[in-house]
Amino acid sequence: MDNAEDPPPAVAHSSDALTLPAHITPAGKKRPSAVPDRTPVYAMVGNPNCGKTTLFNSLTGLRQKVGNYPGVTVEKKIGEVFSQHGRPMKVVDLPGAYSLAARSPDEAVLRDVLLGRRLDTPQPDRIICVVDASNLERNLYLVHQILDLGRPVIIALNMMDLAAKAGIIVSAKKLEAELGVPVISCEAVRGRGVLELKLAMSRVDLALAKHRWDVPAAIAPAIAELQASLVDNDQRPALIARAEALLLLTDLDTVRVAGSTPLSARTTEVLAKWSRRSEATARTWSSTLISSRYAAIGRLCQDVIRRTGQSGPSISDRIDTVLVHTFWGWLFFGLIMAAMLFSIFTLAEYPMNWIDGHMALLGAWVKNSMTPGDLRDLLTDGVIGGVGGILVFLPQILILFFFVGLLESTGYMARAAFIMDRPMSKVGLHGKSFIPLLSSYACAIPGIMATRTIENAKDRLVTILVAPLMSCSARLPVYLLMIATLLPSTTVPTTTKVGIMFLMYALGTTGTFAFAWLFKRTLFKSDPPLMIMELPPYQPPRLKDILRQMAERGWLFLKNAGTIILGISIILWFLTAYPKHPDYTASSDAQIAYSFAGRAGHTLEPVIRPLGFDWRIGIGLITSFAAREVFVSSMGVIFGVEGADDNILPLRDALRAAKTSDGRPLFTPLVCITLMVYYVFAMQCMSTVAVVKRETNSWKWPLFQIAYMTGTAWLLCLFIYQTGRALGF
Amino acid sequence: MSASRPLLFPLCQLTPGATGRICEINGDENFSQRIREMGFGEASLVTKISGNSTSLCQINGTRIALNHGAAMNILVELIPAVSR
Repeated sequence: MDNAEDPPPAVAHSSDALTLPAHITPAGKKRPSAVPDRTPVYAMVGNPNCGKTTLFNSLTGLRQKVGNYPGVTVEKKIGEVFSQHGRPMKVVDLPGAYSLAARSPDEAVLRDVLLGRRLDTPQPDRIICVVDASNLERNLYLVHQILDLGRPVIIALNMMDLAAKAGIIVSAKKLEAELGVPVISCEAVRGRGVLELKLAMSRVDLALAKHRWDVPAAIAPAIAELQASLVDNDQRPALIARAEALLLLTDLDTVRVAGSTPLSARTTEVLAKWSRRSEATARTWSSTLISSRYAAIGRLCQDVIRRTGQSGPSISDRIDTVLVHTFWGWLFFGLIMAAMLFSIFTLAEYPMNWIDGHMALLGAWVKNSMTPGDLRDLLTDGVIGGVGGILVFLPQILILFFFVGLLESTGYMARAAFIMDRPMSKVGLHGKSFIPLLSSYACAIPGIMATRTIENAKDRLVTILVAPLMSCSARLPVYLLMIATLLPSTTVPTTTKVGIMFLMYALGTTGTFAFAWLFKRTLFKSDPPLMIMELPPYQPPRLKDILRQMAERGWLFLKNAGTIILGISIILWFLTAYPKHPDYTASSDAQIAYSFAGRAGHTLEPVIRPLGFDWRIGIGLITSFAAREVFVSSMGVIFGVEGADDNILPLRDALRAAKTSDGRPLFTPLVCITLMVYYVFAMQCMSTVAVVKRETNSWKWPLFQIAYMTGTAWLLCLFIYQTGRALGF
Repeated sequence: MSASRPLLFPLCQLTPGATGRICEINGDENFSQRIREMGFGEASLVTKISGNSTSLCQINGTRIALNHGAAMNILVELIPAVSR
C-alpha cells in the first residue's frame, strides 16, 4: 500500500491538523497510478433504490457471477467489464446502504468489504458511487463517508431525468469541480452514460477527491487514539484506520457478520473507553458527526443544485394517491395477489401440459426401444419419471418469479409493505417483514435472504422462523397432485381448484402470522419495532431485468432438478428396487414392501398411521425432506412401478387406483386434504435448513424450526383426520 | 432558542397535507442515528401525506413510510400554511 509508511498517529491533536494528512489529499494533483498489474477491482456502492443494480447490469451484461458471502446470505455479485483498451476489470456490486455505520447484515457486508475486513473478497482498488440526482444531499452522505477511505472514486449521477422532472437541476460539471473526481451523468434505465462510465473506469490515473472535512473538535482526540490503535494493532493503513475509527465511534460495531475479521483486543479496549466517555456527553457524538457531514454536504451542494421552483405533484405522487389509499389501495393489493395466484393456475396450464405430454412420450419411447431390465426401469421410472415430475412445475415457478420481479422493479413492493404494515403490527412485526414473507411465496430461500434489510435482530429472527410457513412454490406440485387426485379434472370447474389452492395459501399465511404473534409474545419479547422505509418513485417495469432474474432463478431450479432431484430419484428407485424379493414372480407391490424404502416406510408407519398415511406415503415424507416437490417424484416412482408395463399412467390415475392393505382406496378426499395440510406446515426442505443455519450462525434455530413446524403439522393433521373420520368422511 | 417553546407533537398526529419542522428525535440510538443519516435531522421539513397508524410523509422530495412507533418518536412543530 502506498500509505503504509505513514507515521501512525496521522491525525494530530490540534484541531487545524484534523484534515486529512496533507500528502494524501494533494488538492487537484494526481497521485501515481494505484492500479497494479493484477485486474483492478471496482466496488459499486450506493443508497437503496438509486438504480445501482440496473447500472451494474448494463455495465457488465451477462458476464456476472452470483454467489453468497460465506457466512451470510448476502448476495455477492461480481461482474467483468473490459476497459477502453480491452483490459478486464472486475466490478463488485455491493448491497445498497444509507450509511457505512451498519444497521443490518447487508450494510455490514458493504462496510467490511470497503474496509478490507473480509478475506473472501479483495479490497476494492476504486469505488463507483451511484447517486440519485433527485435526492442528491442524502445520497452524498454515503459518498462523504466513502471519500474518507482515500480511494479513487467515480461518481455516477443517476436518475437525472427524474430530477429534472422534479424541478432539480444538478450540474455534473460543478460537482466534479467541487469534489475533484469524475462525475458521470447517467440514466441507467435507458443505458445512457454507461459508455462514459466505462471510459472513466479505464483511466489509469484517477484523481483523489479534494475532500477536506474537519472532524468536529469534540471527537478528534478519540479518533486520533482509535486510529493509532488500528494502525498498530490491526495492521490497517492510516487512511482506512481513520475512516474506520470514525465509524467505530458511531457504529459501536453492533452488527457483526460471519466471515469478517474481528478487532484486536487493544482496539476494543480503546473503543470501550471512548464510548463510555461519549455516553457522558450531552449531545451524542453520532449526531454531532452526522450534522457536521450534512453541513459539509450542504456547502458542497450550494452551487451544484438549482431548483427551478415548485413543480406539481409528480406522476409517482399521483399514482400513490390511489395505490396507498385506505380503500383503493387494499382493493388493488387484493387484485394483484388474486391475479398472481390465478395466472399461476390458468396460464401455466398450457406449457405444463406440453411438458407433461413430451415427458410421457419420451418415457414410452425409451420403454419401447430398450430391452426390459433394471437399466430400463432406472431410466423410465427413476430418471424420466422423477425429473419429469418436477420439470412440469417450471412454468408456474417462472410466473411466480415474474410477479415478484414485477412488483419489485416497479416500486410497488414497498407500497405493499406500507399497506401491510398495519396488519403486520398486530402480530408485532412491521411492514418490512412483509417483503420477505411475500418472496417466500416463491421460495423461502430468497425470502430469508430478504430479511437482511430488517434492522432489529429479534424481528429478523422471527421473520426467518416463520417465513417457510408461507406456501412456497415447491409445495405447489404437492397441492396440485392432491387436488387433481381429489377432483376429477373434467367435471369440476377450475375455480373450485383455485379455491382449494387459495385455502391452502390462506392456511399457510394464517399460520405464519399466528406463529409470528406467538414468538413475539414469548421467545422474542421486545419493544414494538420502529420502521422507516423509503418508497421509491414508480418506474415502468424493466422487462429485461425481470426476465434476467427469472432466468437466473429458473436455471437454479433446473439445476436442482438436474442434480439433487435426479440423484434422489435414482437413489429412491434403487431403494425401491432392492433388495429383490426372493420370489421372482412377486407383484410389484410386494417388491416395494420388501425393499429398503418399504422397510423405512413401515418403520415410520406407526407414527403417521393416525394421520391416515400409510407406509408408501411415509416413503414420500422421508424423501421429500430433501425438498417438498420430491414427494411428487417419489409417488411417481412408488406408484409408477405398479403401473402396467407398456404405458406410463398419469400419476393422478395411479394414485386414485391405489388401495390400502385392506382394499380400501388409499387417497380418499380426507387423506388428500390431510396430506396438503401436512405440507402446509411441515418443515420439508434441506436447503432452507441450511440457509437458516448459515443466517443464524447456529444449529439451534433451524432445529427449533423443524421441531415446531413439523410438530404443528403432525398435531393439526391428527386433528383433521380423526375429526374427519368421526364425522364419517 | 426563544423563551416561548413552540408546541411540539408527534409526527403521527400531524394532519394530512400539513407540514411540520422536526424538532426532536427520540427512540433508541440506532433508530435516531439512522433517521438523521437519512437526512431527516432536526430542522428538516416534513409533509404528511396520509395515514393514521402508518404514516406516509414527504421529506426532501423523498417518500418515506414510518410505522406508528417511529412516528411517535419524531416530534414536530406545525408550520402554518401561510408562512410557507
